[in-house]
Amino acid sequence: MVGVKKNRWFAPLAIGSVLLFFYLPILIMMIFSFNDSRSLTGWSGFSTQWYEALFKDREMMKAVYTTITIALASTLVATFMGTITAIGISKSRKLIKELILTVNNFPILNPEIVTAIGLMLLFSSLSITKGFYTMLIAHIIFSTPYVILSVLPKLRQLDADTAEAALDLGATPWQALFKVIIPQIMPGVVSGALIAFTMSFDDFVISYFVTGNGVKNISILVYTMSKRINPTINALSTILVVIITFALILINVVPNMKKKERISIE
Amino acid sequence: MRKMLPVLLTALLVLSACSAKPSTSTLKVFNWGVYIDDAVIAEFEEKYDAKVVYDNFESNEAMYTKLQGGEKYDVLVPSDYMIERLIDEDKLQKLDFSKIPNYEGIIETLKGLPSDPTNEYSVPYFWGNVGLLYNTETVDLADLEEQGWNILINTKYAGKVFIYDSERDAFMIAYKALGYSANSTVPAQTEAAYQWLRKLNSTMDPAYVTDDVIDNMIEGVKDIAVMYSGDAAYIVTENESMAYFVPREGTNLWVDSMVIPSDAQNPDLAHKWINFMLEKEVALMNTVYVGYTTPVQEVFDEVTGEGGDYEGIEAYIPRTGDEHDETFRYDEDLKRILSDLWTKVKAQ
Amino acid sequence: MKGFANLVRPYMVWIFGGIVIPMLLIVLYAFTKHGNSVMAFQFTLDNFIKFFDPVFVKVLMKSFEVAVVTTLLCILLGYPIAYIIANVNEKIQTLLLLLITMPMWINMLVRTYSWISILSDKGLINGFLVYLNLSPIKMMYTDFAVILGMVYNFLPFMILSIYTALAKMDKAIIHASYDLGANRTQTFLRVVFPLSLSGVISGITLVFLPAVSTFVIPKFLGGGQYMLIGNLIENQFITVGEWNFGSAISMIMAAIIMFSMYMTRRFDRDIEETSKGGGVVW
Repeated sequence: MVGVKKNRWFAPLAIGSVLLFFYLPILIMMIFSFNDSRSLTGWSGFSTQWYEALFKDREMMKAVYTTITIALASTLVATFMGTITAIGISKSRKLIKELILTVNNFPILNPEIVTAIGLMLLFSSLSITKGFYTMLIAHIIFSTPYVILSVLPKLRQLDADTAEAALDLGATPWQALFKVIIPQIMPGVVSGALIAFTMSFDDFVISYFVTGNGVKNISILVYTMSKRINPTINALSTILVVIITFALILINVVPNMKKKERISIE
Repeated sequence: MRKMLPVLLTALLVLSACSAKPSTSTLKVFNWGVYIDDAVIAEFEEKYDAKVVYDNFESNEAMYTKLQGGEKYDVLVPSDYMIERLIDEDKLQKLDFSKIPNYEGIIETLKGLPSDPTNEYSVPYFWGNVGLLYNTETVDLADLEEQGWNILINTKYAGKVFIYDSERDAFMIAYKALGYSANSTVPAQTEAAYQWLRKLNSTMDPAYVTDDVIDNMIEGVKDIAVMYSGDAAYIVTENESMAYFVPREGTNLWVDSMVIPSDAQNPDLAHKWINFMLEKEVALMNTVYVGYTTPVQEVFDEVTGEGGDYEGIEAYIPRTGDEHDETFRYDEDLKRILSDLWTKVKAQ
Repeated sequence: MKGFANLVRPYMVWIFGGIVIPMLLIVLYAFTKHGNSVMAFQFTLDNFIKFFDPVFVKVLMKSFEVAVVTTLLCILLGYPIAYIIANVNEKIQTLLLLLITMPMWINMLVRTYSWISILSDKGLINGFLVYLNLSPIKMMYTDFAVILGMVYNFLPFMILSIYTALAKMDKAIIHASYDLGANRTQTFLRVVFPLSLSGVISGITLVFLPAVSTFVIPKFLGGGQYMLIGNLIENQFITVGEWNFGSAISMIMAAIIMFSMYMTRRFDRDIEETSKGGGVVW
């Protein structure tokens, strides 16, 4: 235990208050998604009508589909491109390394709106019709830097000798890459992929500026629908919250279970 | 990871295959938000075996900017002055009225509008005016009648006012409150209107809203709101303490019409859409759902007549013939000036 | 293995087209006139001069004001929380971290939107106050609502950044401090806090940047009249159509932000490691 010890009641109270603060809107949103009326302030009884409406709403289903597809596709491309680039960077001359990393930082350090308008200007100038593919390209552009930043530290920590040893034992560079390097940096790749996925799934600002042709993701749809009270938004959000909760529990519980298995076997 | 890759790729391929349906005709429509009964879109798609890509805009200005950015649509539904601008800039194509037989049923006074005097480019979609929605329980009707638009700078109602976030409507109100024309290009008058709006901003603590004003007023969040007649007609049926008032200083009488841009990719289907919107059943569905006044004479008579959905609702019937009421005209310089000034009013 | 350096080539092309060129385009538009199509450009400084109208400068000032207040609040609220979490036993730590980060995974628009019904004049809080026979408070469309929305959205980032720095701290140094006779307060002020500073700095970066440039939160909770620099830019690009002016504003904002970031980073040597490590907390 480190540092100043405050009174016993302070810590739980503080944590409790913060958690209440964080979860109050979420809970209210979830509760009201089952409200019988459209009101967001008055409870009129339990109903699942908004969930039914959600699945019947073409726009919403289309937006969900768009969001998922773009998130999956952009994550795949960004992770792949980011990983090989990170590997390349680790083997590059200092000058190239600095250059790439500096430019790589722009989407991260720039406010989202600046990246967004830059891309919008790009597509407009080249007269590229904005829509699904421009959104996809934009997502790949802003996700890849995060993958790179996630993989690079792992590469630095890498034991260079292992790869050298593999070469000495007769492996080709590609075999060394796939069988030695990649498995070791895998945690970085996986977390990079997760970050890329989340950023794409949740993105609003950049998607908003580069989309067209009626293509919308969930965030854009919520933005346009927010003008009128629409409990279907609450229904969709509740479903997302439930899925996310499950996913987080899985990610955290499953590895622990595997650990226990291994321990009990030993 | 290596084993996952082929699986993921296959999944992606399958997903993308699902979306690549054989291309039936596609119609791209750009319209105001909540301005159509969604069931109507589905009906159109079925009847004409087409796919409708339906996009929304919040204001004429935003619509225009989207077009500037290179977006192509088949049908637009701008307001009168914006249509005037588009015609001026050669961005619309002339309509083939032989493909729009239902045009016959349009209310006579809506033909030959100043924005399209020869009736070659546009077909009315909804029309109405701008007024004040007020809470009869907390706002004195006498105040409204006496002060008209100036009630919006009456500090008695400070903090209880919603203003529509639309530069032309805001300036129209200011101009009218000061007794000028809403289309005034006299610099001194524009400056006065700007000052009037700044005064409103700094003394009345208004909230600037767009469509979110509708649900807010149904809940009675504030007491006075600048409102389009159609939204007022809807709110009045949902909240009985609300009523609609049009000041004697005059207001803007507007008409939103359907037009086809010159670069429309499917003009034929566009004509079918326009004609479809004027069909009696369709126009009836739309006006009942949305609340705005229909341009189709037969439907208008039905909903305002006995047993009709809007029987006795004043907001539904925009007053016509008042000499103080004006339609907006387009003026390039005025537009730029108003844009700037409005940004400044809000940024205060 | 040297050949692997060539793996960067595709990305170099990619970022040239996808990052460098868009930035250049913004600069191009900022310094030219009448440029909503690719043709007809003429060099001008008008867009920048236009910005120096007191009204617009005030918008910029206000954005920084709001961002600074938000950041300070995040530090004041976030530090104690991060501290408590870092000092709790391991099992609870993981649980607490999970609970804190979970809301971040939910769409920001949805989270901000939910506050509207809570803060509205006839919303939940006011309904509760009226029930207790108290007079309702105006919360929507005020500074309070916007800052609340911002703190709500960005606090988790601050908590995580500070937590990461605290968790990485070498416990041996702290024990050494006790051994040398310092009491708890002294240890905290002289040892723990300074060492955790890199976490605070990286938290500031993660909060200040979005706080100063966001437009969704002011739009939802502040109303159309609440104009921060992000709203101004969005307005110019989406509604008004003045892409040149909008680009100039973006450049001015980006320049000021980069300068502030540079200044904050000079206070910290450690930041590279902390921020990269911190990003992988999930």
